[in-house]
Amino acid sequence: MEDELIGIKNAALTFILEAIDPKELEETKLQFLGKSGKLTLAIKEISSVPKEKRKEIGMLANEVKQTIEQTIKDQEQVLSKQKKSNLIEKIDVTNPGIKPALGHLHLITQAIDEITQIFEHLGFNRVRYSEVDWDYYAFTALNFPKDHPARDEWETFFIKSQENPKNGKMVLIPHTSSGQIREMERVKPPIRMLNIAKCYRRQSDVSHTPMFHQFEGLVIDKNISITHLKGTLEYFVKSYFGEKRKSRIRPYHFQFTEPSFEVDVSCGVCLGIGCKLCKAGWLEMGGAGMVHPSVLKAGGIDSKEYTGFAFGWGVERVLMMKEDMEIDDLRLLYSNDLRFLEQF
Amino acid sequence: MNIKILDSWLRDYLKTKASAYEIAEKLSLTSVSVEKVENYGKDYIYDLEVTTNRPDLFCVVGIARETAAILPQFGIKAEFIPPVFEKVKTQDNIPLKILSDPKLVNRVLAVTMDVTITQSEEEIKKRLETSGIRSLNNVIDITNYVMRVLGHPTHVFDFDRLNTKELLIREARKGEQIETLDNKIYALKGGEIVAINDNNEIVDLLGIMGLANSVVTNETKKILFFIDNNDHKHMRKASMELGIRTEAATLNEKGIDTDIAMDALLFGISLFKNNADAKNISSILDIYPNKQITRIIPVSIRRINTLVGVNIDIRKSQKALEALGFKTNLKTDVIEVLVPSFRVNDIEIEEDVIEEIARIYGYHNLPSIIPPISDTITPYLPVNEFYWEKRVKQAMKYFGFTECYTYSFVSENMFEGPLNQAVEIVNPLTSDFIYMRNTIIPSLLEVVSNNKQFQELRIFEIANIYKKNENDLPFEKVMFAGVLKKEKANFYEVKGLIEQVLYDLGIDKLTFKPSDKGGIGASIFIENDYLGEIEILDTTLIDFELDFSIILKFATNRKKFKHFAKYPPIVEDLTIVVDSDISTEKLIDEIQTQSKLITEVGLKDTYENSRTFHIVFQDFDKNLTKEDAAIIRNKIISSLKATFNAKFK
Repeated sequence: MEDELIGIKNAALTFILEAIDPKELEETKLQFLGKSGKLTLAIKEISSVPKEKRKEIGMLANEVKQTIEQTIKDQEQVLSKQKKSNLIEKIDVTNPGIKPALGHLHLITQAIDEITQIFEHLGFNRVRYSEVDWDYYAFTALNFPKDHPARDEWETFFIKSQENPKNGKMVLIPHTSSGQIREMERVKPPIRMLNIAKCYRRQSDVSHTPMFHQFEGLVIDKNISITHLKGTLEYFVKSYFGEKRKSRIRPYHFQFTEPSFEVDVSCGVCLGIGCKLCKAGWLEMGGAGMVHPSVLKAGGIDSKEYTGFAFGWGVERVLMMKEDMEIDDLRLLYSNDLRFLEQF
Repeated sequence: MNIKILDSWLRDYLKTKASAYEIAEKLSLTSVSVEKVENYGKDYIYDLEVTTNRPDLFCVVGIARETAAILPQFGIKAEFIPPVFEKVKTQDNIPLKILSDPKLVNRVLAVTMDVTITQSEEEIKKRLETSGIRSLNNVIDITNYVMRVLGHPTHVFDFDRLNTKELLIREARKGEQIETLDNKIYALKGGEIVAINDNNEIVDLLGIMGLANSVVTNETKKILFFIDNNDHKHMRKASMELGIRTEAATLNEKGIDTDIAMDALLFGISLFKNNADAKNISSILDIYPNKQITRIIPVSIRRINTLVGVNIDIRKSQKALEALGFKTNLKTDVIEVLVPSFRVNDIEIEEDVIEEIARIYGYHNLPSIIPPISDTITPYLPVNEFYWEKRVKQAMKYFGFTECYTYSFVSENMFEGPLNQAVEIVNPLTSDFIYMRNTIIPSLLEVVSNNKQFQELRIFEIANIYKKNENDLPFEKVMFAGVLKKEKANFYEVKGLIEQVLYDLGIDKLTFKPSDKGGIGASIFIENDYLGEIEILDTTLIDFELDFSIILKFATNRKKFKHFAKYPPIVEDLTIVVDSDISTEKLIDEIQTQSKLITEVGLKDTYENSRTFHIVFQDFDKNLTKEDAAIIRNKIISSLKATFNAKFK
């Protein structure tokens, strides 16, 4: 009996180890361990073995069964690994992957999103006021008297329409500052406005396009001072350009602010030492100031009770000042050349 | 306005050890932007940008005074050396009468003298030319030199060519003609301030430019040195309307301090004496009807500290103000400030004085404090249009589309519809940019044609269109538009894109109808609101344009949990053969109405005339059997047969 059992074991193992696919394994399993399998039948014969030998034979039979079962399991693993590695060997992992679709958001959208996020951290509320507005909102209410020389610098586009007796001519806004008046008419202090909109000026060259974007901040509350403007400005500069970048304000003049400031950012290339791309280590970012009492008055706000600051900067400008973008011609941003858009 | 001056010239009126670079840096931080300091041999040239409110800084003395006031704030010793004018002996009465008009001329000063015309000496030539003024001859150079030093324009006539005993100053009448000293002829518009001689000839365009008939030449023997201080509104109007933008004009339109006029005259006379061999200097004629006003402004100290944000040492500020020319009187809560005559147009209110105090204190000395967050401004996403715009843009990006930014103004042929309905620009930059667009599609199609090397394009834009609103501001509407260019552009790809983008915004009840706008395509509705169009332009080009305000109306993040059905659904396919005229929508509606247990019907496949629908039967509470489904299916079949004459496979 022992010989028979060992013979069965060896035969089974041979078949198992020679099996080349799970189907063969299954057949072998059936052949030896199935209802009428060789081992199964042999085990049935154990009852006709002499009593004193039955235990020993029984144990041997069990061992054979387990060995066969384990070997089958192991072989199943081996075969499955082989199957996988057959598949893998057929693939060249260096071939290009199949990429899902990916388009592009315009650089200006990316900049606006980033700017919005930064100011929303400080509790600013984003708005967008109209692009076609009255001369009253673009100039007069902002403390530009009629025919004032300061208006010239804004190179305004005028819209064909009847002049409004109260509001004057219709214009394309040359700056987002008209939004200051609109905001003050819409809400009463405290005000934390971020107005981002398209602006228009009659200029077109390497650093100007007739249509561009500005973002305008307006903070009006009790006891707002120059220190708050500095704080906000610094927060923006560090968040947008990086921790290493510094900012400063210098005296300037705008009709709608008093005091007025020019805002500089330290040069990202030379980090403030001075190079051919900057002015002694600084780059001009835009204008800012404390809101002029006449402007507060035009907005229906008592300048004795409230003070505020405002700033207005170009989206394209800060974008181009970021991490050497190396875009040397602003008009590229509006070329809508896919070779440009697809780079970002 | 930019002005260039030599460092050595500045130091005629400024005593300090500070270097040119230090001066430039400190001035930029506290007064006026020095854009550049150029080397000029052993000397330097400052290039300053002077803002329109500080015409007093558009001269050497003004800058010297300003510098002397601010350097001490940085601990650098500096002293202003005010110009001193030689007392020159004048003689006989001036051989000229001037009839002026106080409404036009605030002050006019005149003196005559004999001169010898030569070239200017080197120093004067160098100073003028490094300042951007061409040297002509000693007499003309002196008029420019005086203007550059003191900031008041001056003029000189050839007195003999004037040929007059009297000058009448009046407004020009429309149509009167003049020839300026650069030999250009102008027809006056009326209102310009002019001077007329005895022969009724116009001999000067006051404050703007000299005229050819009285200009000084190399033959000039006797000059009339003439300083006019005029109403700045007249100056501005004349200069802009005639398009003559001389330095004199740009200074005069800002209004110059009348007190400086006398300084300018005296300075000029001494220069003529020393550089033009001036003799027979007449008496000085001074017609001064409009004395320079000054004002006293009380400034609350509390307000200074509020606006600046720190408690300023007011005594230190006082010293600085006085160095700038202000007279001050410090009281307990208030500092009274007497504005110097040359700052009167700029310093009108309390805040103007506070700016002086703050800039001298030094903005760089102020701390940076973030303003407190206001608790009344709360961002509520569902009504935030920018949030939804961002969602749409991001979806488009991840669906493979590239965003464009095209100009809001278009040319005539890119405007759709009658031009009299267009919002039109009066002064366009070019003819390509005249009308504010009323659709974004032509701009996007232009992008397609400008990118011909791309066989496949997927572009989009979200931007305003503009609709005329009588004489009121036009309506501005945000539109969401896109273009698909592909060899075999598929309408269903665009339809599916729009459905998917909107589905992600919580909008799933879109209806598509064949377009009635004239082209081939679809009109899209959300419930009863018209959303927009998909337009098939040709086999390679499809566009869409949607009204974003409608998307905003329906977009939502609100979600409600739906409990899972207890039992699995029964899913079946049904293939129908029916007339191709009958829309899929109609068939689906008909199938759906047959039972409440039909939870989903969708078109799975089409082949020639047959359409295969995938139908889901489900009862939320009960386990549906095949027999239950069969009853409903039969209902569907008979209804389709009856209504549409459908045949079945």
